[in-house]
Amino acid sequence: MKVAYKHLLNFLDDKPTIDDLSNKLFQLGHENEFKNEIFDIEFTPNRGDCLSLIGLARDLNAFYKTNLKLNTYKDRIESLSMNFINQSAHDCPSISFLKIEIGKIPKKYHDYLESYFLDLNIPKNNFFADISNYISYEMGQPTHAYDSAKINGQIVFKTIKDNVEFRTLTKRKITLSGLNSIFTLNEEVINLAGIMGGETTCCSLDTTTALIECAHFNPEAIIGKAVKYDLHTDASHKFERFVDPDCHQEVMRRFIQIVEDHTDIKNIEYASYQDKEPAHKKIPIDLKKVNKILGLNISKDIFKSYLTKIGFLFEAEFIEVPSYRNDISHQNDIAEEIARLIGYDNIKPQKITISSSGLIHDLDKVKKIKSILVDNGFVEVVNQPFIKFQSNGSIAVDNPLDINRKYLRTSMTDSLVNNLIFNEKRQKDNIKLFEISDIYTMHDGDIVKTNKLCLIISGRAGRNFKDFSKKLDKGYLSELLKDLFQIKPSAINEVSRKALNTKIKSSIFSCEVDINSIDFSSHEQGIDIQDYGIKINMEKCVQYRAISEFPSTYRDVSFSITDYKNIEDLLDTISKVKSKNLKESFLFDFFKNDKAGEVKAGFRFIFQSINKTLTDIEVDEQIDYIINQGIKINGVYVQGYKRV
Amino acid sequence: MSSDKEIFIPKIHKELGSHHPINQMKDSIMNLLSSFGFDIINGPEIETEKYNFDMLNIKATHPARQMHDTFYIENKSYLLRTHTSPVQIRAMLKNKPPLAFISGGKVYRKDDDATHLPMFHQVEGIYVNEDVNFSQLKDLIYKIIYSLFGEDVKLRFRPSYFPFTEPSAEVDILSSEGKWLEILGCGIVNPIVLQNCKIDSDKYSGLAFGLGIERIAMLKHGISDIRDFYKSNLDFLSQFK
Repeated sequence: MKVAYKHLLNFLDDKPTIDDLSNKLFQLGHENEFKNEIFDIEFTPNRGDCLSLIGLARDLNAFYKTNLKLNTYKDRIESLSMNFINQSAHDCPSISFLKIEIGKIPKKYHDYLESYFLDLNIPKNNFFADISNYISYEMGQPTHAYDSAKINGQIVFKTIKDNVEFRTLTKRKITLSGLNSIFTLNEEVINLAGIMGGETTCCSLDTTTALIECAHFNPEAIIGKAVKYDLHTDASHKFERFVDPDCHQEVMRRFIQIVEDHTDIKNIEYASYQDKEPAHKKIPIDLKKVNKILGLNISKDIFKSYLTKIGFLFEAEFIEVPSYRNDISHQNDIAEEIARLIGYDNIKPQKITISSSGLIHDLDKVKKIKSILVDNGFVEVVNQPFIKFQSNGSIAVDNPLDINRKYLRTSMTDSLVNNLIFNEKRQKDNIKLFEISDIYTMHDGDIVKTNKLCLIISGRAGRNFKDFSKKLDKGYLSELLKDLFQIKPSAINEVSRKALNTKIKSSIFSCEVDINSIDFSSHEQGIDIQDYGIKINMEKCVQYRAISEFPSTYRDVSFSITDYKNIEDLLDTISKVKSKNLKESFLFDFFKNDKAGEVKAGFRFIFQSINKTLTDIEVDEQIDYIINQGIKINGVYVQGYKRV
Repeated sequence: MSSDKEIFIPKIHKELGSHHPINQMKDSIMNLLSSFGFDIINGPEIETEKYNFDMLNIKATHPARQMHDTFYIENKSYLLRTHTSPVQIRAMLKNKPPLAFISGGKVYRKDDDATHLPMFHQVEGIYVNEDVNFSQLKDLIYKIIYSLFGEDVKLRFRPSYFPFTEPSAEVDILSSEGKWLEILGCGIVNPIVLQNCKIDSDKYSGLAFGLGIERIAMLKHGISDIRDFYKSNLDFLSQFK
């Protein structure tokens, strides 16, 4: 909610600075920031009472001397003979109407009204709607202004289930469906209650007689409608969060006063309908309990003083809750009020020792499996469960984010195949992935949960001179899974590349098993569960390096070493070489050519830029630099390469 | 020319894989909380409205229960849990105080942008005993934050609103850029929730807290887009070895 600092100051006699005010609002739980002396305040959903200048000032009375009295019309008002029926008093327990006729529509607004539109950059509409909007800002009560000349028949408030058409005052045509609280005039919908009025009865620039409606709606009758119909209004925001049921008289008198500040009033009439008197909530005074909840020891006088400042009344053994505080109903709520006023940050921590129940859930098995796989070069992935296609036992989501993600996956293999292809497209040629997740299926009306492990492999066996030319195949996976988890080779499947839209030919193998079927009993070695460290701190935490979405490119260089004692020096030099855009390098080939009397060391250098696709010239410049570092070493050369 | 004996054979370094950074962070936080005395509990990701909302004092009209916020299943017979709190509800129904539980895992909400995903991870904790109070909650939160971000970090508590805690608070830390960042939500367990779990709310009180794992991981690793965690890009994942 946007609030002008100067508007709020009108209610605060102490005239605090904007910084002080901001801090105090924050202490009260009203997160805020300000720019050019305009606050943008975020209220928690239980504090509908604060969504106005008066509401905020009431809360700020905890810290400042305030002046909450508004200039209101004091004279007697004639009663209005209304043709109105309330058919759903549960959804609208009280409602008032004010008919007001003016002689001339004012051309200019007084400073206080003009400032509301100007400072908050709110567009004007027409005289009565403008006052209605201002009153909502000032007092928190939304009102609706009908053009009285257009109201010629019976107004009915009711909650309906039928589908009906409604045209809003912003000229949007909506089909109302499901339960909706509405106002009708001669059976035509003229107002979607608590959200927005209709086009046919709204005021215009020429309206001189308006019928102002001021209602209290049950929030349950309003909630969800603004989202459903995409009609997010100030009124819907407030009514969803509860509006003071006990303010109609004052609001209407304030309305009249503002009209009178601007023009001559010819006639005013007022009618009020109330199903029953608003109940004033009372909570037993229980200071001991409040102190116990907070871990404090405040005195009764301080307790009383805090609550009185924010509108609570004390009578005998009870605290009377102000009519606008719908969020207060038990001692914990009272404790929160006390804590807010003390300031959460001013409450000293008290040492806590947790005495646990000793209940232990065994997650060790999953941790062991993960650690073993990571130790064997597998990278863990986590996938979203939403997929496009249905399969046996699939669970459908009633309301998916998009229709292409309607089902929960029954298998993880497809997710991992997608992960593999994604990485192959990024020039990865040695891929070993795994995921562990709960998988949910529906069988005979019952939801079945299975904790599953899925692995997938493809590409080279390793990035070293022993494994570079070998492929990850079924044999590799069979041996690994048999050794580690007692999983039979029959659980391993080859994934066909036919439907994968990929030019790469390496075979893909996957395995998906129930975690319960994994057996560690014959595992020879004790399994070390990786301890991630109980105390994490920023120093130890990996700082993420941005990854490139541009293609990488590589160069293979074969160094010949005739002076064998310099092999280590070459390897060391290459491992330490720094070059722009060199992403990684590794030794993929190493053999001794007895006939030539030299050792060949083949390195792969992978280059990638974070912000562009590298050209051959750029890569060649860098590879020249690297080669030159290598061939500086005595007895090292690259066949056919001349030093630059 | 050198002789055979002098040939240096390069070592083959074992190529390690990596745990997913979100699971690393989740497990680290769970380990930390276990060291404070909490027991780890687990529960289903597919829940009912009863455990996910009703028992937690989240009323039928609460916006979180609307179709635009929660994924429902089988004509609203079930839902994808929107938080890990229902795990604690189930545990409270089965056990008597004192209770000290943490639950962590996947949760689901209908969001999808640079800072929100339809699936994300939470760790939540609850402690119920006689005379558990707000000042003790503060002590616990200080311990958690200091363990995660170091004892020099500045933090602040601000009043908030959760239907299942009262008083409720959100806790922010001050970033090195001087910006306050929301880290966790916490509060004193609403006595209605204890009563729903057949726990005598006159005798017992509780504290509860919840952390979003992705948020903490993003802060600690310096990641700005939550979606990076779930692209399965090896260039990304292999940074967290």
